[in-house]
Amino acid sequence: MKIEILYPELCNLFGDLANAEYLARSCEAELIRTSLSEKPHFIDNDIALVCLGGTTERGQLIARDALKPWLPELLKRADNGGLVLVTGNAVELFGEYIETDGGEKLPMLGVFRTHAKRDMMHRFNSLYLGEFENMKIVGFKSQFSFSYGETGEGLFKTIRGAALNKETSAEGLRRGGLLLTYLLGPLVILNPPFAKWLLGEMGVENPALAFEKEAFAVYETRLKEFSDPARGFEY
Amino acid sequence: MSKLRFFIALWLAKLSQPVLKITKHNGTNFPGELALKICPEFLKYIAKPKRIITVTGTNGKTTVNNLICDALEMDGTRVLNNRAGSNINSGVATSLINGVTIFNRERFETAVLEVDERSSKKIYPFVQPDYTVITNLFRDSIMRNAHPEFIAGILSESFPAKTKLILNADDLISVGVAPQNPRAYYGIERMDTDVAECHNLIRDIRICPECSTELKYDYLRYHHIGKAYCPKCGFKSPDYDYAGAEVDVKNMRIKVKDARGEGTYKLLSDSVFNIYNVVTLVAVLRELGFEHEEIEKRVEKLEIVKSRYNEETAGKNRVIMQMAKDRNALACSRAFDYVQSREGEKELLLMMNNLNDERGWSENTCWLYDCDFELLNRENILHIICTGPRALDYRLRLLLAGVPEEKIDCEKDELTAAEKLWHKPGTDIYMFYGTDTVPLAMRVKAKIKAICEEAAK
Repeated sequence: MKIEILYPELCNLFGDLANAEYLARSCEAELIRTSLSEKPHFIDNDIALVCLGGTTERGQLIARDALKPWLPELLKRADNGGLVLVTGNAVELFGEYIETDGGEKLPMLGVFRTHAKRDMMHRFNSLYLGEFENMKIVGFKSQFSFSYGETGEGLFKTIRGAALNKETSAEGLRRGGLLLTYLLGPLVILNPPFAKWLLGEMGVENPALAFEKEAFAVYETRLKEFSDPARGFEY
Repeated sequence: MSKLRFFIALWLAKLSQPVLKITKHNGTNFPGELALKICPEFLKYIAKPKRIITVTGTNGKTTVNNLICDALEMDGTRVLNNRAGSNINSGVATSLINGVTIFNRERFETAVLEVDERSSKKIYPFVQPDYTVITNLFRDSIMRNAHPEFIAGILSESFPAKTKLILNADDLISVGVAPQNPRAYYGIERMDTDVAECHNLIRDIRICPECSTELKYDYLRYHHIGKAYCPKCGFKSPDYDYAGAEVDVKNMRIKVKDARGEGTYKLLSDSVFNIYNVVTLVAVLRELGFEHEEIEKRVEKLEIVKSRYNEETAGKNRVIMQMAKDRNALACSRAFDYVQSREGEKELLLMMNNLNDERGWSENTCWLYDCDFELLNRENILHIICTGPRALDYRLRLLLAGVPEEKIDCEKDELTAAEKLWHKPGTDIYMFYGTDTVPLAMRVKAKIKAICEEAAK
């Protein structure tokens, strides 16, 4: 089994790369790191999961350009149920455009009829509690932008914290196996039930996680904290 | 009207100072905060010293700022500085208030000010330095600083055109700041400890800023610090104007060479960060016109403040407090690297939790997966206790870093954790603590020392 990380030299902010590493360790998969100048391996090879992490604002443009030639193959994969996990502000690559503080609209890949709006003077920081397939999801957000437009049901249903924007309960976006969420960093490690679900979707029978007991202890502690109504959510 | 408002702000701020002193609240930013509240353009109107040097960057700015102040003060020069206060706009305002008379007459010739990167936009339009030092730019707090490219952008937009930048050439992120400004570069030539491949999780610039090809290095020190080049377009790190060379940790000496000569300097510590700090200091003093011989004499008398690293003997152990700035993967990685490189058997207490966040919120722990916990997987690290609200997160991270399960213990309460250390005679006990946990860390240290001393009786 193989897991591919796209553009790790660029899309690597806030511990995002740890997701692929954790899953690979849990199912003894081979990790493939594809650089900006390479043809993604998922096009010609059997890849169980493709991961793309968050990056800088300039990095978004570079990643968009690198991904654009391979977008039809990526969507074909996703529509056939092939998994692609996109985290942090990499979500915005798949919308129609990103609007900058100055009002410039930077065209993106246009997979979803959404757009992001940046406010570089105000960083939004919050905890997140949501639901996915009867699992609770915990996570963190730290971002300069939100996404608007046809957000649909999203990937996660928000219980507490902001979703794609503050007016919707839809966090993230989904098209077949293409799973996008603004949640940052070690999302998979923080959410062992979600990690096991991913492994199952990747074709792992009776999935078990590396240090599963310890990961669940962390998850349950955090879930209890995030479910406490007295706990502040926006930093 | 603005001037009148300014003087009201100045006088009230001045009046607040004796009150703060009597109530033992001196050292705070209150005078500056008050002045800025009354007169938002206060920094514009207040008189400033003729010569201003500012120091900014992710790591080392406090140390470098203090070293420059100390070195300049050695000949009796009075240097206005903000070392007792803070590095944000109200801290800088407080320092400038200290520097003027009630008639707004400046009493200092020179100011050396540490400036928080994120406060640049509020400070530099009014406080225009002749020289600005950037120590380095790394990933810092996710929530406040986002990423170093963002910080570099803020600095580029903020520095006045006249300011000469003194930059670390081994840090390509700093190198890219305000390209239109005059600049001088410092760096350190190849060191024995340099590596060919980066083993750190964070490398904040991995691709060529010109053509996006993955960068290569003539030599790499840690993270993205080193002499880089692009194999495709020819882009490369700039040449050094001030080159540290022949680092001799055994004799604690380094040479610094430039176009006008060279000097041999005392190292203030054997950590690479502090070796850079000496080179930075020499570069600044050379820019100010000092001869190597004079700088050598001054550096010989300098010491770095030990608040971030403190070693004490207790019974048959040494207890070492090592600051590892919370929520800062880079700072923790550097601290881990330094400690793992020390000889001898060790026991560690990890207590870098951000307690302020935990009071009403919950710490964003993404940084744990940017931080090189793998450095703690060493044979001579015998035992690690994870403590505080995020103890379980630390344990999982250590396990994923390959640290054997039997070496790890978890204890939420920090003082109880002190009791659960093994205190094996002859081992060094390292406490990693953050800025939030200083008072608690002092209590924990006292407890560890008492246990070690009792055991030695």
